[in-house]
Amino acid sequence: MPAPLAPLTLEIVVLLLGIVLLGFESFSKGGDRGWMARWSVAILSVVFAWSFFTTGDTGVDPSHAFYCADPLALFFKRIALLTTIIVMVISLEFRPVLEKFIPGIQPGSGTGEFFALPVFTCAGLMFMASAVDFLLIFVALELVTISFYVLVAYMRRQNASLEAGVKYLILGALSTGFLVYGITWIFGLTGETNLARITQVLPSLLAEGGRLHGSESALLFALMLLLIALGFKVAAAPLQFWVPDVYQGAPTPVTAFLSVGSKAAGFIVLARVLQTVVFLPSIAPKVLSVLGLLAVLTLLYGNLAALPQDNLKRMLAYSSIGHAGYLLVAFASIDPAAGNLYRTQTAIGFYLFGYLLMTLLSFLVMTVVSRHSRGDDIVHFNGLSKRSPFLAFGMLIAMLSLAGIPFTAGFYGKLLVFSTAIARQNFLLVSVGIITVAAGFYFYLKVVSAMYWKEPTEDQPVTASGLTKFTVAALCTAIFYFGIFPQSLLSMLPSDKAAPVAVSPAPHK
Amino acid sequence: MSPLLFWIFAALMLVFGIGVIINRNPVASALSLVASFLCLAALFVGLNAYFIAVIQVLVYAGAVMVLFLFIIMLLDLREEQRRRFNLLAVAGGALVSLGFVAELVLVLRKFTLGQKPFAPIAQVDDVRQIGMTLFSTHNLPLQVTGVLILVATIGVVVLSKRDLK
Repeated sequence: MPAPLAPLTLEIVVLLLGIVLLGFESFSKGGDRGWMARWSVAILSVVFAWSFFTTGDTGVDPSHAFYCADPLALFFKRIALLTTIIVMVISLEFRPVLEKFIPGIQPGSGTGEFFALPVFTCAGLMFMASAVDFLLIFVALELVTISFYVLVAYMRRQNASLEAGVKYLILGALSTGFLVYGITWIFGLTGETNLARITQVLPSLLAEGGRLHGSESALLFALMLLLIALGFKVAAAPLQFWVPDVYQGAPTPVTAFLSVGSKAAGFIVLARVLQTVVFLPSIAPKVLSVLGLLAVLTLLYGNLAALPQDNLKRMLAYSSIGHAGYLLVAFASIDPAAGNLYRTQTAIGFYLFGYLLMTLLSFLVMTVVSRHSRGDDIVHFNGLSKRSPFLAFGMLIAMLSLAGIPFTAGFYGKLLVFSTAIARQNFLLVSVGIITVAAGFYFYLKVVSAMYWKEPTEDQPVTASGLTKFTVAALCTAIFYFGIFPQSLLSMLPSDKAAPVAVSPAPHK
Repeated sequence: MSPLLFWIFAALMLVFGIGVIINRNPVASALSLVASFLCLAALFVGLNAYFIAVIQVLVYAGAVMVLFLFIIMLLDLREEQRRRFNLLAVAGGALVSLGFVAELVLVLRKFTLGQKPFAPIAQVDDVRQIGMTLFSTHNLPLQVTGVLILVATIGVVVLSKRDLK
């Protein structure tokens, strides 16, 4: 058995892949850049497999590290890799639309960067999963956000894409401002940027006679600024106003990437930041009640505003807000007495993995269908079961899982989230959750009814490449597999039974 | 730095900062930003942070703002001067920022940490220390920043080139 590899090699390989792709791209002849996406899929798959053979030990004391590789970090790295792989498959299907809206001198020219930038984004997401120091958190987050600014505005001959890019840039810069200001406050209060050391010094600072004694409001203020910034990243109400326009205007693969990758990374950073303060008895109730309020608002806004939507891309944007709400329920139900966040971490890890499968599946099918029908309104899906029974079945599975039908990954994810809330006897959150799940059934099944019970407006069959068909089949299988055997996924996530391998700042040391 | 100088430069910085937003003429706005950066550099000098002060002048007030001005003068921005203030938006913005300031004041009134003086730092070589920190203990974030700048450069080229090959 070979010696396990250092975890940082994963990011290094991904970064090298991006640089090599760009290098080859500048010397390649001809317009077709599809090989870049296929190479990325192949190499990122190897890195994904590789991630199971890395050690969790970085060899550095966590309180002096920027980077950790606990099971949670490795799990979210895999989410980032898998998301990028599937986004590449979606991009391949999206090429004809992309070529129409960029000023290339021949078909296919100018698409190279569209396949290279997601690789860098993936590296940024992987760094975010591992970041345990505010400096690395900030730099990795900016790497992700800046590459998204470019990708969102990529189709610059289409006004919607440009408008989405500008909106995302301005609001993203504002949220970055809040993040930096929050980090500055934390640094000013504690003199530390490392999360583990912040956890260590906070109790003594807040204690009687400590430097912060009597002024915990400053700490709460800093946390509020951080919550605003992270709430923007994960699209929590009332910081979600950018989502529908940006998601609808951006190129479809980028929308898929934003709604899964950006959200997952935002949530893991939120989990790490909360871990520093949530066990302080004077801070925890206030933070948790704010999170509960955010969860309720996000759930109601996302799911109720999705009801009247006619455009599938916009509907999925609202649905992604709704799913952020379910994830926030798990955060609002943290038990401050437990001494660890394993329960919440497990719930959000499983939920986000299921969310990845079903959301990317629906975006993949949508890209293929909208290319043939020239539009992504729900009307364009009318009678899809007659034009392509296979793709219609894929979309059916995605919608059922998003709605939360038993035996799908989406159902078990919701079950885990609600079980955290029930364990804390947070019945308000549970009842709001159940109401919004019912609303979800309505708008997800609207798509299903269009596909199976409406007459098609066009009779030309919808065709997809072999790689796409394979991906659809694999995603459908995974949705059912992890819905029926969730244990196979849960064993990778931190739990009470198996202590995490490396870093998990213990507050009571 | 004497507190008087601090207050003068801080007030000037805020005045010019407001000038950036209020001026309808983009060139005047950009020049206000330069002035605001210069005042900020003066504040850094007051904190004995000479290196940051110099960088602030060289990079922001110098290089970045010259580029800004060039771009503004290359584009035709007269449209912007004719635009009227949207009263509702102004009122909304004022309300939000006043709320934020009010919260800040409430927090700062209870906050006593700022009045305790820091222990003076032993005389050190500014540039040398920053270099040591960047390239030894803080190497990983520095490398990631390198990637970030690479991505930003690629993005600028992709989004601004007229014909893509």
